[in-house]
Amino acid sequence: MNRCAGRRLDLGVLSPETYVATDRALLECREQGLAPDTLLFLEFARPGALVGFHQSISQEIQVAYCRGHGIPVQRRVTGGGALYVDDGVFGWELYLDRAALGRADLGDVAKLLCTLAAEGLRELGVPACYRPRNDIEVDGRKICGTGGVYDGDALLYHGSLLLDFDVERMLDVLRIPAQKWRDKAIVAARERVTSLRSLLGTRPTAKAVSDALARAFSRGLHTDFAPGVLSQAEQAWRERTRLEIASDDWIYQHDRPETETPVLEGLYRCAGGLLRTALSVDARTGRIRQIWFTGDFFVHPKRLVADLEAALRDVAVADVRLAIERFFGQYPVEMLLLSREDFCRAVEDTLAPIIGGTRVAVPGVGA
Amino acid sequence: MECNGCEFRPELYYDKEYQIWVRREENGALTIGMTDISQTIAGKILHARVRRPGTRRPSGKPVATIESGKWAGPIPNFFDCVIEEGNIAVLEDPNLLNIEPYEAWVARVRAVDGPERALSVLVTGEAAAQGYAERCRRDDIHCSRGAR
Repeated sequence: MNRCAGRRLDLGVLSPETYVATDRALLECREQGLAPDTLLFLEFARPGALVGFHQSISQEIQVAYCRGHGIPVQRRVTGGGALYVDDGVFGWELYLDRAALGRADLGDVAKLLCTLAAEGLRELGVPACYRPRNDIEVDGRKICGTGGVYDGDALLYHGSLLLDFDVERMLDVLRIPAQKWRDKAIVAARERVTSLRSLLGTRPTAKAVSDALARAFSRGLHTDFAPGVLSQAEQAWRERTRLEIASDDWIYQHDRPETETPVLEGLYRCAGGLLRTALSVDARTGRIRQIWFTGDFFVHPKRLVADLEAALRDVAVADVRLAIERFFGQYPVEMLLLSREDFCRAVEDTLAPIIGGTRVAVPGVGA
Repeated sequence: MECNGCEFRPELYYDKEYQIWVRREENGALTIGMTDISQTIAGKILHARVRRPGTRRPSGKPVATIESGKWAGPIPNFFDCVIEEGNIAVLEDPNLLNIEPYEAWVARVRAVDGPERALSVLVTGEAAAQGYAERCRRDDIHCSRGAR
């Protein structure tokens, strides 16, 4: 297969604002044919919060905490969930031509790019793999979240790889289910998320990580990413867009109240142990946004919990039992005195205060 | 009419990649939606947002954005227009785009240079049917509609 010529950019440390302005500029330039296929690496020096393009700041971020601690909040151009970033987060991005990937389905594109990133991480000695829909994990624990955006024939896909993980600060910055159980939330977060430092015992250098990722992307995409710099056109575009990106009109363009995404918590006792459920629901769409299960129950493999949580994300409340039953129907599992029915009941009990037909009715909140 | 399970409606107008459909209303407004091809490629659509009514959107600037599976993307626009309204039902439940792509319209717009000129850059009828089928076959797209 013929190899393509691409460009590698190592941009070093960026502020959240410059990061988003860069994304916008490069995507526009790629779409207009002013930029080649590009692999970009970046870092963050200080704490920041980044929401996905369609997310509401108040529903995702602890705004008062961020204001009080001088933590900037920004809106990405890419989809996906809210991110806490600091100097432990290493960013990779790909700007590519959609058609050249030979896959119309965006889910397939995400799978391909996540799989390649996982291959790169395996070169560093960690058994990373792709977890549907958009994560890279190691033994059931997430190490890299991803998201993308497309415009015409151009796409941007990015990953946020954890070199290190400040769990306490992340819980302060993001709105996460189980937040009220602070000590348990810290344990639960550590069970779900890992970092290269945690896995390797030492934090690898940005260069070691970027080189490993670059080799994997280069092999898989049949592209030589030669070191380069931002063109004058890209720099000019970035400067033009920076003012807009810095404005509240951009950052707060979607800001629905947090009362529309209630967090519910439930305790369910059964022969198999105590099953603690924490979830947040989108009252407008009647879908589960996030769900966490913790407790003293036994399941094997342990990663079942993370996989079940991932399978229930964005599922309609009315379909949650069906989704749990479908999940267990396809998942080989050993459980001690615990059944799929226990998970169904634990979730339904937690949802009971607000469940009603296909829509969630939250008292005092217009659905 | 279908190709690879992808529904096609010959009375509508389409862009050349069959990403959007456009319908002319009696009052001269144009209604825009996603094709079956588009909603299939996107997967489960979780967010939809339409620009504010009164916003002018030149050709090339999207009238709306959607998000599915962590991918954000535009609903592209091929003529100069002003947004009149977004479909509240779709904004509240974007999954409707996956269920009934030709009923769940996204936005109503007013073409700045009139509907005739706007529709002149689109394809319809038999020519559109052929192009639509070609796109399905070329990219091996097999459509599925329904709640996700």
